[in-house]
Amino acid sequence: MSYGEIKQSDAGLLILGIETSCDETAAAVLKNGTELLSHVISSQITTHQKYGGVVPEIASREHLLHFQQVVEKAMAGAKVDYGDLAAIAVTYGPGLVGSLLVGVAGAKAIAYAAGVPLIGVNHLEAHIYANFLVHPHLVFPCLALLVSGGHTHLILLRGHGDYEVLGRTRDDAAGEALDKVARTLGLGYPGGPQVQKAAAAGNAAAFDFPRAMLEPGSLDFSFSGMKSAVLNALNTARMKGINLGVPDLAASFQQAVVDVLVRKTLLAVEQTGVTHVLLAGGVAANDLLRKTLTQELKEREGRLFFPPPHLCTDNGAMVASAGYHRYLARDFAPWTLNAVPGLNLT
Amino acid sequence: MKYLAIDTTTKVSGLALAEDGRLVGEGFLHTAKTHSERLVPLLDQLLRAAGWGLRDLNFIGVVRGPGSFTGIRIGIASAQGLAGVLKLPLLGVLSLDALAWAGWGRKEEIVPILDARKNEWYAARYRWLADGRLKALSPPRAVSPAVLVGELKGMDGPFVFVGDAVEKYCDFVCRELGEQAILLPDYLGLPRGAFAAQALWQKWRENPRTRGGGIPGEDEERVEPYYIRLSEAEVNWARRHGGGGDG
Ligand SMILES: [Zn+2]
Repeated sequence: MSYGEIKQSDAGLLILGIETSCDETAAAVLKNGTELLSHVISSQITTHQKYGGVVPEIASREHLLHFQQVVEKAMAGAKVDYGDLAAIAVTYGPGLVGSLLVGVAGAKAIAYAAGVPLIGVNHLEAHIYANFLVHPHLVFPCLALLVSGGHTHLILLRGHGDYEVLGRTRDDAAGEALDKVARTLGLGYPGGPQVQKAAAAGNAAAFDFPRAMLEPGSLDFSFSGMKSAVLNALNTARMKGINLGVPDLAASFQQAVVDVLVRKTLLAVEQTGVTHVLLAGGVAANDLLRKTLTQELKEREGRLFFPPPHLCTDNGAMVASAGYHRYLARDFAPWTLNAVPGLNLT
Repeated sequence: MKYLAIDTTTKVSGLALAEDGRLVGEGFLHTAKTHSERLVPLLDQLLRAAGWGLRDLNFIGVVRGPGSFTGIRIGIASAQGLAGVLKLPLLGVLSLDALAWAGWGRKEEIVPILDARKNEWYAARYRWLADGRLKALSPPRAVSPAVLVGELKGMDGPFVFVGDAVEKYCDFVCRELGEQAILLPDYLGLPRGAFAAQALWQKWRENPRTRGGGIPGEDEERVEPYYIRLSEAEVNWARRHGGGGDG
């Protein structure tokens, strides 16, 4: 494909972003990298609730059921034609393969029919790029703490598309641990917001759950021990007939998770000398994490950036944002683009 | 009426360009690559070779199942993407109906069988009538080879088997049905864009809502995937909650 010139219609440089990697079918039209013209999300949370988690085959079916409608809504909402688009950006991994394939196949057909280039976006990169929607003047290098139901990563960003993963979880993702504890406490799904709500009325010092720091200097994470400690405390208490307060458990657990995330982030700041940090992923919406990191970084003459809560969970705008920067770099995907469920950030 | 036919319900990526039911160009790939990797490149090559542009098309047709769940979705998502941008009517046909065209004009019953895994087939039975119309004798279903072949034993044959399950079950079918079974080889009996193009043309002509060009956004029906089977999670949930069967 040869798409030499920047396609800037009267309407501006328009990118359609498409996201179907897990349980949200989402599309958004982004103008000039920061102006969100439309933003449509069809969530499957209620469909999967009765199964206690996302069922891949059902997720794929739901994506197909809503895909065309979501894209058309995003286009109509932005009041633009397919021909006005500069490119179409789509998440091609990591995620559930069947879900990814609906978005990739649909996006490819749309791009081919509209005669515009296709851009393959890494879902993790997209989460990080949600920050560029609201902080367009971010400068490199910076660090990113990506925390979601599927991922916990500390990443050094040297420039657009130039990353180094400094640390990652060795077992559960932070969001996954929050989900499991929330389920055990009977708080419902997704766990992050529920734990935060319950924690508001609790004492964060009521229980001293372990904070796994791993070997000295390591920027990796481990949350499974912490999660087990909560479950053990609950079981022991139940056997003795003691009723532990859910708010205290939630608050203490949330505090332990946040403590680990903050300590590791500060360690990365110390090791790299980089003091600007981006929060990304669903858990980035957590108030305690935002407040604590903001404060700690301020004391180190650094700064924390984060997207508004509605851009922290999966959405099409973050895909369009990452796509916009790849567009400027002329980084287009071939028509053979495939879904890569285990895609890494390199 | 120029149109594009897409069939990705089996391991074959099948595409066809046709005009008023006449085959103009065809793409067939039965390789180790995925539909996702093959589909748009194959379409691009086919259009170029035929000297057609996407803007020449009057409608788009897709095979909506039964078959591979992922394949069904890739076909429909691709067809929807094309039709949405080009503002064209979208038509859907069933994989087994399309496959019946592999046995066009034969006096025997046509039995398309597709590999449904879990030792089952997606299958149906058809007969070509003397007036050239295709008659469905039984609706598509997921059925074990033993059950279907058992049923056929009690009926008058012979039966012409087509589809991607023929190769794997060749010995079984021959052993059970003997001379009552006629098994078409791959190059005659696998799903193809050409078969889909015929089934689609039939549908286009018979459907008064789309005949005559169709008004985009008004005349087209919504093309739904046809999986036959529920997902395993739904089956298990129904079982646990007293729903009982496979739905
Ligand atoms: Zn995500």
